[in-house]
Amino acid sequence: MSQLLEIKGLTAGIEGKTLLHGIDLTVGAGETHVLMGPNGAGKSTLGSVIMGSPEYAVSGGSILFKGEDITDESADKRAKRGIFLSFQDPVEIAGVSLSEFLRNALEQLTGKHTKLWDHKKKLKQCMEILGMDSAYADRDLNVGFSGGEKKKAEILQLLVLEPQLAILDETDSGLDVDAVKTVSAGIEEYKRRTGGSLIVITHNTRILDALKVDKTHILAAGKTVAEGGAELAGDVIEHGFERYINGGK
Amino acid sequence: MSEEKTKVADIDRSLYDFRYEEDERDFLGSGITADIIGALSDEKGDTDWMREFRLRSLEIYRRMPMVNWGPSIEGLDVDNIVTYIRTKSRMNSDWNDVPADIKDTFEKLGIPQAERESLAGVGAQYDSELVYHNVRKEVAESGVVYTDLESAMHDERYAELIRSHFMKLVPPTDHKFAALHGAVWSGGSFVYVPAGVKTEIPLQSYFRLNARGAGQFEHTLIILEENSSLHFIEGCSAPKYYEAGLHAGCVELYVGRNASLRYSTIENWSKNMYNLNTKRALVEEGGKIEWVSGSFGSHVSYLYPMSILNGRGARAEFTGITFAGEGQELDTGAKIVHNAPDTSSYINTKSISKDGGISTFRSAVTVNEKAVGSKSSVSCESLMLDSISRSDTIPVMDIRTDKADVGHEAKIGRISDDTVFYLMSRGLSEEDAKAMIVRGFADNVSKELPLEYAVEMNNLIGLEMKGSIG
Amino acid sequence: MENVILNRLPVPTFRWLKVNEVSRAENEFGTGAENVIQPDDDARIEITGGRNRLVINAAENSRREAVVFISGSEGKTVVTEVNAAAGAEVKLVQVYENSGAANSSVNAEIAENAALELIQLYIGGADTVSGINAELAGRCSKFRADIGYLLDGTDKLDINLTARHSGKKSSSEIAVKGVMRGHSEKIFRGTIDFLKGAAGAKGKENEDVLTLDETVRSKTVPLILCAEEDVEGSHGAVIGRIDENQMFYMQSRGIPEDKIYEMMARAQIAQIAEKTGDSETIGRVGAALGGGDSDEQLYKE
Repeated sequence: MSQLLEIKGLTAGIEGKTLLHGIDLTVGAGETHVLMGPNGAGKSTLGSVIMGSPEYAVSGGSILFKGEDITDESADKRAKRGIFLSFQDPVEIAGVSLSEFLRNALEQLTGKHTKLWDHKKKLKQCMEILGMDSAYADRDLNVGFSGGEKKKAEILQLLVLEPQLAILDETDSGLDVDAVKTVSAGIEEYKRRTGGSLIVITHNTRILDALKVDKTHILAAGKTVAEGGAELAGDVIEHGFERYINGGK
Repeated sequence: MSEEKTKVADIDRSLYDFRYEEDERDFLGSGITADIIGALSDEKGDTDWMREFRLRSLEIYRRMPMVNWGPSIEGLDVDNIVTYIRTKSRMNSDWNDVPADIKDTFEKLGIPQAERESLAGVGAQYDSELVYHNVRKEVAESGVVYTDLESAMHDERYAELIRSHFMKLVPPTDHKFAALHGAVWSGGSFVYVPAGVKTEIPLQSYFRLNARGAGQFEHTLIILEENSSLHFIEGCSAPKYYEAGLHAGCVELYVGRNASLRYSTIENWSKNMYNLNTKRALVEEGGKIEWVSGSFGSHVSYLYPMSILNGRGARAEFTGITFAGEGQELDTGAKIVHNAPDTSSYINTKSISKDGGISTFRSAVTVNEKAVGSKSSVSCESLMLDSISRSDTIPVMDIRTDKADVGHEAKIGRISDDTVFYLMSRGLSEEDAKAMIVRGFADNVSKELPLEYAVEMNNLIGLEMKGSIG
Repeated sequence: MENVILNRLPVPTFRWLKVNEVSRAENEFGTGAENVIQPDDDARIEITGGRNRLVINAAENSRREAVVFISGSEGKTVVTEVNAAAGAEVKLVQVYENSGAANSSVNAEIAENAALELIQLYIGGADTVSGINAELAGRCSKFRADIGYLLDGTDKLDINLTARHSGKKSSSEIAVKGVMRGHSEKIFRGTIDFLKGAAGAKGKENEDVLTLDETVRSKTVPLILCAEEDVEGSHGAVIGRIDENQMFYMQSRGIPEDKIYEMMARAQIAQIAEKTGDSETIGRVGAALGGGDSDEQLYKE
């Protein structure tokens, strides 16, 4: 059977500068993958390209989701297929409340009208898991949210939208110990409810503690330089990237 | 050549040929007669069409109202200037007649005496004619034509090409001074770059402008064929002095498909001049025009180079700086007309006002119905160095389509005391500190200029900043 | 028929742009005796025609609020005078829901430490000519304007706003948000004028326009005039598109482009309505926005 996500020889860049050089990555249903690498390795770029960011141009290779080629699809179509990206730096949208935004998104994804009462109930329940004040639901999306609140709001959207593949781009960075725990709990809950797949871009293990990692990929200068199991992530955090970068694959 | 003609005829006039509506006002120009213009044609040995063109322009000039929206040009006596130019052969006859402040500036800029006299419009031709000929020879080998417009008009190889382009982009009906230019133009450069030729060395009109009689009503005509490129530099940092204070030149640039033209100007007219210059570029599919413009001199300036983006993907960039000191009113900016899909424009200007000088940034960005998917970005910054000066920003954006992306940003302010204090704490005098900050402010233009021009411009800023500390 | 020149740009520019002024037949904007309204207290006023003058005199350190609805198909003139004495705070809300022609002007004198908050919402309008002139004469005087417009069909809106800073440390902030559809036409002229002596003054101006049809015509003319060294002035304008990062973010959550434009268009106007803090205004504007799926409404389903 086909995999959930299959990336083959993906080459992409921005304004003539190539940032990803022939990346291969396969994620099966229910798997958790960790993406690591030094700053500028192309991790976030890969996340954005999988989501279909118009900022980057794909010059080679392909992205298959459930066996279908989505390389040229716009972001909203990919979202409808079940891909989700938790942004490293979520944008602010004045005039649109978090609740209104999510209901709109949900209606687009499911193609049916969501009863407001059900929506509110689900939202409130998800916010409780993340320890978010329910007043945030009526605030403008991300406007005036602190860094931690923005990250929580991303995980909230993950819980409400229930995608099949979630890419978490440094969702743990800039958070204090308690906030990381809360966010981890949210991710665990997502896994428990949906059995969805994860690609976690991170620099440390804390967020991984509660997750069963299936595979670790090390990226450097836009290339995959090492791959392994859960133990590789631990090893990298303990000893650094150097030997993988210099030694190659 | 016939292909050229068709191309010009195909331009949709209505989109940029914005005529002034006539109204009942006092008209200048009754003193310039058909006889005077006829005599000028005789002197130049004009062909019949040019003779007619001048007379028709004179008619238009008489009918058109004075410009009534910018800085005052009441002090300008056009009739006398034209008569003067006719009778006095356009040159100062004596170094002693050149005002002291001009001589003083030459001194400070370290310009040799011979060159000073030439720049001041005194005396014989400057030696740079020789340099000019050498440059001309080198570029000629690649098929590039670089010569003076008047003699090119009489050369059968170019006559038809010039006729089909001359004042087609800036018609005499454009405004009153374009009409005057059409009637009395004299001198200027003609450049033709054949398809595929990339001109490596910049061509400089500096050498030409020093030629006798050129410089006040000069006409620059540049035609770039497909896939060619050129950098053309107009003017120099030393002040040019004419006793009769009007400059009404005209620049017409035709940028062919996928061609690229950079047009740089450092203008430092003497401070009695009215600079009413008209510059315009027509850019075809995939072509690019880059303007780099520094305005330092003149008493009054009206200067807004226009870029008409006529083919898909055509681009325009405008980088400018204006420095208005005592007694100066410099009204400068840019106009962009987006006429085709996926065109883009970028305007970045700085202006500085000091010692009672008035600088005005004025712009017009028009995105027409056809310009789907076009982008425009305007950024202008103004620096006020004291409270007896003035700085105005007057941009207009006229958008007629939904699929456009237009952004605009403007800022006005002064040199922060903290920055001056920081620099002074490291040992700079207040004057040097401020000059350094202003130079930094002007960096957007200087880094776009060839090195020797950037150095001259920085010297000029240093000179303008001297004595600015009470 | 007498023609009047209205909305003259403080400093004229290129004539072919046709933004220097606007000319209209005088009788287009209502006739008859002038109806003078001079409320002593907070007021809620409905104007549907004729020639009207609203005078708001706010005494020292007082707070005054007026909400004015200007609607209907008749031509009308609405002149509003605001005098904010030292330390006074005035909030003026104007909601334009005209199918006919309207000529409105707001002239405000703002004294030392006084503040005027002006909120204007233009919902449609066959031909609206609106002038706003705020004289920031007093030291530390403040002017804040939030203007929203939603134009469709052949709606026509012509605004000329000037904030004149003569008071030291005076400040102005002008935020304009607009949505244009159909064959609508709009000119927004916004001028921040720093007069000599207005040391420490600050002025900020911004216009954000969403153009949703290729047949719209939007002109933006943001001037800064400056004769004082010690000031800070800025203006910005974004016309046409939604910020790419916002677009990608919303798309990544499954919302298609056309839906995003609709949401943002609603948000532009709703944000300004919210600022009034006035439930009638929010309700009336919300109804005009149509398809409004604000949470309040959905609760009632």
